[in-house]
Amino acid sequence: MSHVIPSVARDLCGRGSRNAHRSATRAPGPSLTLGMTLGLLLLTFCTSQEKKPLTVGSKNFTESVLLGELVAQKLESAGCSVDRRLNMGGTFVCDSAVRSGAIDAYVEYSGTALTAILKQPSANVERAYETRGLHWGPALGFNNTFAMIVRRADAERLALRTISDLKKVEATFRPGFGYEFTERPDGWPGLQRAYGLAFANKPRTMDLGLTYKALASGEVDLIAGNSTDGLIDSLGLIVLADDRHFFPPYDAAVVRRADFDTRCTGASQALESLRGTIDDATMRRLNYAVDGQKRDVAAVVREFLAGKPPI
Amino acid sequence: MNELLRLTGQHVLIVAIAVSIAILAGVPLGTFAHRRKRAGGIALRVTDVVQTIPSLAMFGFLIPLPFIGGIGARPAIVALVLYSLLPIVRSTLVGLERVDPFVREAAVAMGMTDRQLLWSVELPLATPAIVAGIRIAAVTAIGVATIAAAVGGGGLGTLIFRGVAMVDTRLILSGALPAALLAIGADLVLTRVERAFARKRGEA
Repeated sequence: MSHVIPSVARDLCGRGSRNAHRSATRAPGPSLTLGMTLGLLLLTFCTSQEKKPLTVGSKNFTESVLLGELVAQKLESAGCSVDRRLNMGGTFVCDSAVRSGAIDAYVEYSGTALTAILKQPSANVERAYETRGLHWGPALGFNNTFAMIVRRADAERLALRTISDLKKVEATFRPGFGYEFTERPDGWPGLQRAYGLAFANKPRTMDLGLTYKALASGEVDLIAGNSTDGLIDSLGLIVLADDRHFFPPYDAAVVRRADFDTRCTGASQALESLRGTIDDATMRRLNYAVDGQKRDVAAVVREFLAGKPPI
Repeated sequence: MNELLRLTGQHVLIVAIAVSIAILAGVPLGTFAHRRKRAGGIALRVTDVVQTIPSLAMFGFLIPLPFIGGIGARPAIVALVLYSLLPIVRSTLVGLERVDPFVREAAVAMGMTDRQLLWSVELPLATPAIVAGIRIAAVTAIGVATIAAAVGGGGLGTLIFRGVAMVDTRLILSGALPAALLAIGADLVLTRVERAFARKRGEA
């Protein structure tokens, strides 16, 4: 046993060094030529490839991913090559990515743009984006604003249709919200003030994703979600109308860089055809197709673009 | 400050209740796993699997359930009990398995019944290991209990969740630091207890 190892080692080393020797004397010729050719090829390929693919990003939730995929497929059908960077993170990640050019387009909401990105709630979004070297639009047609949501059975029994109607149930209803809505001044505190509501029960605060489950199983009676959440229809819930227009609009629109069209001709035009094509109910169904029915995002978008409405 | 104290109190209460239940369930389960290898092995696998369930998914399962589920501290305690089981069951099993077979043989030779063997020989000898398991379970539970805030269960996690939602680092730290201090404190105290038991065993 003890003599085997050195002999193998010697063998390997010998062969290794012989090989190295051979490759050092003979192989360099062809391999160097090959390497240089490859390098040249790569160089010419890279320089001739003036048009990088357009990069489409999205935030890290279903609706944003769906809309990113929608923009990507629309661009592809216009003959552009597209690089997808979906599920990137929150608002600030997407905004800094599109400003730095790491992505060329993503879908943003007007309310978020005004309050979180521009920090000037009363600005004109389109003009403000123009000054940042970005283009705002087209608007896709739906408004994903906050939504006060109740169970359908309660809504029918107590005749709840608007947020004002909540006055009737302020003594008994148990609200349940995510931490952000409970804390933000333009969330629950502001809503109660604007509508003159005084709920007897303090809101149960919990993880936002669990509020629907809590409402459906009767643990709470009122939650705050988004008006395009797919679960609203599938769980048999009702969105109360914001009759005093407390919540700002969150109209979804494509944000793209100013040099978009120089990268692929007809790109902007392709996106323009998406203007106003998705209403609240359609967006809700698209979301449900992914969240509720666990379907593939790309397939859902493909069917939507082919004119097949999601069920 | 007042709120911090109240939330810390809630936090400690949630952990104390959960770990107590986990001890009451886990030590017998570990003993059972020692006696009945086959069935015990399955029980151990189950606690292993439970450990891997993400907390939010666990709450998702728990909310619709009657009695143990819903919203508030109750589902949080149930989740914590389930997460605390594994270290306690394992350490009980390890403690019992490490009992010297000669000691066991001697006890049997003295005419001890199965029950006497367990209560006056095996369990006392396994106690330091069991306490070590409880220490790990308690320290982990203090950290994990911050997720109670995800189902409206209160505790220091409330400050963390609020801070994350409001992008307020100070608020996050005001929940995270006390939780860390609690964990360190519990570790120190329970290490002492563990040593005391080990010493006692050494003398016996």
